[in-house]
Amino acid sequence: MLASGASVPAKAVPGHGHTAAGHTAAGHDVSGHGASGHDVSGHGASRPDVLGHAVADPAAAQRAAPTSAADAALQLQVLLGHHSVLAIELMRGRLRGQEDFAQAASAAAGKNTDAIADLVGSLFGPAAAAQFTDLWSGHLTALADYARGLSTNDGAVKDSATARLTTFERNLGAFFATAAQGRLSPQAAQDAVLMHVDHLLRQADAYASHDYPTADRIYRQAYTHSYAMGRSLVGALVPPDQAKALDDPVWRLRSELCRLLGEHVVLVVSAARAAVLNTPDFTSAAQAVDGNTHDLTAAVDSLFGTAAATRFQSLWGDHIDQIFSYTTGLVTGDGNRRDAAVKRLGGFESQFAAFLDGATGGRLPSRTLAKALLMHDQNLLAQVDALWAKQYEQANDGTYATYQHMADLAGQLAQAFGATVASRLPVGGPHTGLGGAAGMVQG
Amino acid sequence: MGVGARATLVAVLVTLLVSALSGSAAPAGSGRRAGPPAPPGALTSPEVASYRSARDYASVPVPVRVRVPAAGVDSALQPLGRNPDGTIAVPDNPDVAGWFSEGPRPGQPGPSVILGHVDSTKGPAVFFNVSRLSPGAEIWVDGADGSSRAFRVTGVTRVAKAEFPTDLVYLPTLQPALRLVTCGGTFDRTAGSYRDNVIVFADPA
Repeated sequence: MLASGASVPAKAVPGHGHTAAGHTAAGHDVSGHGASGHDVSGHGASRPDVLGHAVADPAAAQRAAPTSAADAALQLQVLLGHHSVLAIELMRGRLRGQEDFAQAASAAAGKNTDAIADLVGSLFGPAAAAQFTDLWSGHLTALADYARGLSTNDGAVKDSATARLTTFERNLGAFFATAAQGRLSPQAAQDAVLMHVDHLLRQADAYASHDYPTADRIYRQAYTHSYAMGRSLVGALVPPDQAKALDDPVWRLRSELCRLLGEHVVLVVSAARAAVLNTPDFTSAAQAVDGNTHDLTAAVDSLFGTAAATRFQSLWGDHIDQIFSYTTGLVTGDGNRRDAAVKRLGGFESQFAAFLDGATGGRLPSRTLAKALLMHDQNLLAQVDALWAKQYEQANDGTYATYQHMADLAGQLAQAFGATVASRLPVGGPHTGLGGAAGMVQG
Repeated sequence: MGVGARATLVAVLVTLLVSALSGSAAPAGSGRRAGPPAPPGALTSPEVASYRSARDYASVPVPVRVRVPAAGVDSALQPLGRNPDGTIAVPDNPDVAGWFSEGPRPGQPGPSVILGHVDSTKGPAVFFNVSRLSPGAEIWVDGADGSSRAFRVTGVTRVAKAEFPTDLVYLPTLQPALRLVTCGGTFDRTAGSYRDNVIVFADPA
């Protein structure tokens, strides 16, 4: 099936999806975020990256071929995480009887499948990409059918979907095991895929029975597992000398920041969806957002100490509060509330940027960071608007762009955080021996 | 439906309609593009309007004791910082282990580092048997709040002091982990120090 090894191409792909258009003029008008590009009809068409460079097509940027095992693993983690979210939204849309929502999620999942297949193709060639696409698309269809069986209480449909998913697990496990050329057993690969499918089915079961806290707990597990699966797969698929890059502490820091910040995006959008559509799962969705905030705060505590963590959580909480205040204003037709939320978000962006500038000793210039945060907030509000207008395809494109934006930002944060912490690490190995038992000390 | 109830329903619908229409109009002179119009009858739950993001999180206690049954370790922990030359301070007492208090606490996201002497000037010290640990061995760290956290050894390595992997040992990865560090290899009588360090890597059990 796969004749060659999975050695990552050495050359960067020209352009990497970024144009040379230079910095955008993303001035923040606190009196009207819409004036600076907040437009549900077209926000997904282009976006600046965290440094303000225009990116013509977020999907294309995400599909740029990886230049190293570290890049490949990060790309796969980001894509698999997004896949989990889209599969869950697809299933839940169907369970709520919102077929237009489910169809839009299905279309977005298809784009995501194409992106993963591109990545597989860059590692193993077009034949492998085509085989992967067939397998992966089949499992999405089976997941959607499972949700249909649940929503219609049709046991035969559910059983058929489950049987196809079992076959998928076996076949995809064999696919990855073959690609890994002996570095990953078929059973280990199958187990990883099985857990992925199990998460998706169990969250659907819980959602269908209106046990939203359980459904959202498994949602987070599924998302987290996707990142672990992405790392494990690439670690096994590339040659061992390249896989070592995945043990690099800064890469691991970046991967974790990517996971946490990406999760922030998808959970906020999920809760906003519940708010806008007035479905009964808002409270548990908001609690999931809080869970992510707890994890991010714990990360800041670990990196910069308790005082910084407390400050972070206060600022971050203000940011989230204003997103939902804006949502409430939108849904209730309270323009003043929307205006106030947008204005307060402007305050958050500058204060949070200044906070990180200070915490990293100037490694993250506040002006640049404030622009990135402005873009983040604009994108989130645009998604709320798109959900409210039932423009689900645009909402999904926006989530895709915002999620990817967070992955880019995570890379810059990891570099700055890593350098900041490294500057205060102890030098050399400790002197923890005085020689009194030198003849007996082992090794 | 009675007359009173019908009148109430009409009033609610009128209110909703006015509310929806006012939501679709941009405030005069603001230059703001308004959000999409609110469909009649659509409301959101009170939970959304009253939502307030989490302002607290579970803090991880300061470690006060380490226990490694397979290495015969059961020791209090001394907080350790850095010396003026940037090296890490070591425990004052060879029979007591120490915790690098400028890094993550055990259980926080990131590697927590515990040091112990392999020997004193007179004989074996608190971490004398740590280099003999095998993957799977358990390590327990007790917190100041009375809680205990379990870790499991994943690997043991010996490195020359001159090539100590600072990043690998200390740099926060945001994944909870524990490192035990002591001395190993041969003793350099001239320098008064062992030439190597032994590092035990452990993950949450």
